[in-house]
Amino acid sequence: MSEEERKAETTAPQAPSAASAANRAAGAGESGAKAEAKPAAAKAQAAKAAPPDPRVEAAKAVAEQIKQVLVREFGEAAVEETGVAHRTPMVRVRKQDWPKAVEFLRTHPDWKLNYAECMAGTDYPDYIEIVLYVQSTELGHFVCLKTRTDRDPAEVPSLVASHPGLNWEEREIYDLLGVRFTGHPDLRRIMMWEGFKGHPLRKDYREWD
Amino acid sequence: MAQTEETLERLGVPADKLEHHRLRLDDDPDVRTEEMLLNVGPQHPSTHGVFRLLVKIRGETILDAEPVIGYLHRGTEKLAEDLQYTQIIPYTDRLDYLAAMLNNYALCHTVEEALGLEIPERAEYLRVIVMELQRIASHLLFIGTYLLDLGAMSPFLYVFQERERIVQMFNKICGARLTYNYMRIGGVKWDAPPGWLDEVRAFVPFMKERIKMYDDLITGNEIFLNRTRGIGQYDTETALKYGLSGINLRCTGFAWDLRRKKPYSIYDRFEFDIPVGTRGDCFDRYYLHLLEMQQSLRIVEQALDQIPDSGPVLGKVPKLIRVPKGEYYSGIEGARGELGFYIVSDGKDKPYRLKIRKPSFVNLQLLPELLRGQNIANLIAILGAVDIVLGEVDA
Repeated sequence: MSEEERKAETTAPQAPSAASAANRAAGAGESGAKAEAKPAAAKAQAAKAAPPDPRVEAAKAVAEQIKQVLVREFGEAAVEETGVAHRTPMVRVRKQDWPKAVEFLRTHPDWKLNYAECMAGTDYPDYIEIVLYVQSTELGHFVCLKTRTDRDPAEVPSLVASHPGLNWEEREIYDLLGVRFTGHPDLRRIMMWEGFKGHPLRKDYREWD
Repeated sequence: MAQTEETLERLGVPADKLEHHRLRLDDDPDVRTEEMLLNVGPQHPSTHGVFRLLVKIRGETILDAEPVIGYLHRGTEKLAEDLQYTQIIPYTDRLDYLAAMLNNYALCHTVEEALGLEIPERAEYLRVIVMELQRIASHLLFIGTYLLDLGAMSPFLYVFQERERIVQMFNKICGARLTYNYMRIGGVKWDAPPGWLDEVRAFVPFMKERIKMYDDLITGNEIFLNRTRGIGQYDTETALKYGLSGINLRCTGFAWDLRRKKPYSIYDRFEFDIPVGTRGDCFDRYYLHLLEMQQSLRIVEQALDQIPDSGPVLGKVPKLIRVPKGEYYSGIEGARGELGFYIVSDGKDKPYRLKIRKPSFVNLQLLPELLRGQNIANLIAILGAVDIVLGEVDA
């Protein structure tokens, strides 16, 4: 589905599900056409020659569009990677530009990513990745934004200024993963108690030393 | 006197409400007032679990509030990293323990999306029926405890009658009353026993009558209205900024329900409305719980008409579930808002990272904002209407 079509659908008052279905296709697109789609999908799987999933292709295109918008504003180096997270468009932003890029996309008239859904941090062997699933309530976009930081020192600029609802999410990530969010108004432990040693969700965390 | 005025101004109390919040004692030159720190909880019946609130008050006006959570933190996310996907399901029961079926489903749904599994028809219908019954049970308990918080004892005892019928039905279908562990990746564990669907069918008209009764009993009650109308008000913009979801978002008049916005399972086959509030206050939040129960009953009715008479209830699932390498997020409309699971897999049978998007946790953040400038008597009314379950907040 092209960008124009999606927008046209979003403006229609009674088509919210169709609009959001476009790029957040998790279960949405196929639900109506499930009965017809099933045998085809099964056959494709049996033949082991899976054709490219149109939903994944659409998501890749959306990620590319976001990249263009960000590059125009912040320069080529701001976007480190684009791709898909399952069927969601994914854009990885450079750490320095993280809050600026999120704020820019929040207010950008073509994107309006105003509703932060889920924020998570993951500890990989060489870096820690912060993931933000954010969507536009008006335009129906659903996007996965990411940034990376070194494991030590783990430091990422805070997003609380743009999305106050991420305040506790960032505190939780700080508490359990040890990522320091610079500019956070109230960065304290939230689940564990003050004085607790270590960050339990790190892969190298040991309870007893 | 001047100091209080300044404080109220700083807190953004509107001019027409100043009189209401002005501290009478300050008018008396002989009386000295000072700020006081009041500790609520963690063991307090109105906190619905172990939740602590540090409230700074001056006279009866709340100047600031600071929630303290984590008393029930069990590290579910960390535990899940050492468990196979099917083994995680019972742990989800213990998140929002008033809506365990929905938690079960949210996890299974995310894994099924990742695997691209097909779910048998009968299983999908059974899932929808139990999920909507669960939503009713959870909303019932909200109404009971909320009224109890506000000082009305009887509704709490009333709601347990209907809830008991639902719990009994769940007991028959899965053998547990609270922590069900009923869903499996690819379907459900057990088919409905003979006569179970008829029991559900008989429950629907009974419940409809009871909702009418609650509406008559509570909604028009003047004391209740005075306690909730215009209390804890906020607008859609604030709600979206704070990432609120569920009834906490819909009470502002914003129709946002993931069953419609992102139709998972078979929700696109049912007719139902999304009730929304108009003012975004505590009363709207209460009333939406009633209206949503009606819609859930509508869905149950339709599901009972459409469910196939027989068929498998568990799809073809490999014995050892390995999720392909990648990351997956999907959310469903839980009883308290958007309930989502984010899974990072490295291709093994256990998740590399599992993150739970907990609606109560996110919704609770607005609480200090809502409490500032309010009278201390409204504290419990506002906290109760946020509808938190500490098992979920702390995870």
